[in-house]
Amino acid sequence: MILKKLTLSCFYLVFIFATANAYSQEETAKQVVDKFQSELISVMKNGKQLGYTGRYNSLRDPVSNSHDLSKIARIIVGKEWEKLSGEQQKKLEDVIIKLSIASYAHNFKDYSGESFSFDSEEETTRGGVVIHSHLNIPEDKPVKFDYMLKENGTSWRIINIIANGVSDLALKRSEYTSILQRDGFDALISKIDEKIDNYSKL
Amino acid sequence: MKKTHTILLAVLLTQSLFLSGCATTNESDQKPTATDDPYENFNRKMFSFNDKVDDYVAKPISDTYKKVTPQPVQTGVFNFFNNLKNINVIINDALQAKFSQSAKDSGRLAINSSLGLLGLFDVAQHVGLEQNEEDFDQTLAVWGIPQGSYLVLPLLGPSTLRGIPGAAFDTAANPSTYIGMPIQVISLLNTRASAEGSLQFINEAALDPYVFTRESYLQWRNNLAADGKAKATYDVDDLDTEPADAQKDPTPSPTPTVVSANSNNETHHHSLTLEPEVTSSSNTSQPISGKIIQHKKGSKKKRKPLLNPKN
Repeated sequence: MILKKLTLSCFYLVFIFATANAYSQEETAKQVVDKFQSELISVMKNGKQLGYTGRYNSLRDPVSNSHDLSKIARIIVGKEWEKLSGEQQKKLEDVIIKLSIASYAHNFKDYSGESFSFDSEEETTRGGVVIHSHLNIPEDKPVKFDYMLKENGTSWRIINIIANGVSDLALKRSEYTSILQRDGFDALISKIDEKIDNYSKL
Repeated sequence: MKKTHTILLAVLLTQSLFLSGCATTNESDQKPTATDDPYENFNRKMFSFNDKVDDYVAKPISDTYKKVTPQPVQTGVFNFFNNLKNINVIINDALQAKFSQSAKDSGRLAINSSLGLLGLFDVAQHVGLEQNEEDFDQTLAVWGIPQGSYLVLPLLGPSTLRGIPGAAFDTAANPSTYIGMPIQVISLLNTRASAEGSLQFINEAALDPYVFTRESYLQWRNNLAADGKAKATYDVDDLDTEPADAQKDPTPSPTPTVVSANSNNETHHHSLTLEPEVTSSSNTSQPISGKIIQHKKGSKKKRKPLLNPKN
């Protein structure tokens, strides 16, 4: 009886250790991108049934868990970030998170055989990683997708996506700093809110 | 394939040279902001003008064309003009000393002009001869001519100072220029119809359509000129906003704007401070720098059908 209890205890200990070890193991940059891409394709496959709201809800966690949206929010307003109040910074982060998810939910709305393929992984000199991949589109040319990731604490997070040489972050930074300098913070938030709203209606 | 077009701005912008338009805001009311766009005042006015011409003239005609023309005919028209463009591509291949590519593009032109019935069918892609994008602006870049400032041309849309002689050469080297008025009108219709997806994407995604168009156009042209090996904005130096990161790296870039150079020693101003050591390459087997950790080839390109709807 005692032997049986000991065996069971050992079994549980091993199980707990293995589980804890699995959870403590950090996902590699490639795994983060792979997981996000497969979740995106999965949502696309059910895109029509889910509708915009369903896609938005389904993509909220995959986008939030793979992208460093707080960092992206800071980067896309450049030095203007320091001029914003804490409340404004929080507001900007919130709308960027919503915009990113809404943009995915709008643009990846259905599926016609698309798939992602991994090409290579490259370390940057400042400790980042670039995952080179491409999106295969039936009856069309494949599109290069390069994901720039940085470590956030113990996990890798996407901070930029470059599609066929066009950087999403650079594009947004030019736009957002331009609007901030010209029209101010409230106008920027208002324009972003308008885009989020439009995505839900289109 | 509407979704495809909305996803892939970079691809779509290749077709948006006719008009830069479809702005949702009144551009003429907006003041200039960018420091590396010296003609922004003029450009915004032209952008607004083109937008209005597009709204009131080009788009209605293009929509009618798309409505009354069966998709196979639209695809045939697209293929026909695309095939004529290959003469210019072959010339520019040679001018850039890409002789192997020039031979392939010549084969593509010969196959499509004969088996493809004067280019109406893109047969060549089924034997692995994909369309290449070469023009005289890229040739000038390869020859080391600086890109110059961004310009929005009346009716023609986004360009640069170097793009003007480039466009003049390309027009002269395109047989459709000499065919006559009806063909030229169809060519314009085809160009505008093909640009619909990208213009719609800009409309949906851009907060400031002028800046969005300018930045994506310049990045796309830079990437084309460097054959996909352009410096990319991989690593953004946001150290000035993150003290913790700044402590990790003792040599942060001093300014928010740097000049990067592509493989042709051509300089480009970016609004981002970039990590200068890291570059990208569309050909992952030949990294310019950075450490390639793994390399696996992706799935093979899929064949396009003979009649390929482009929009």
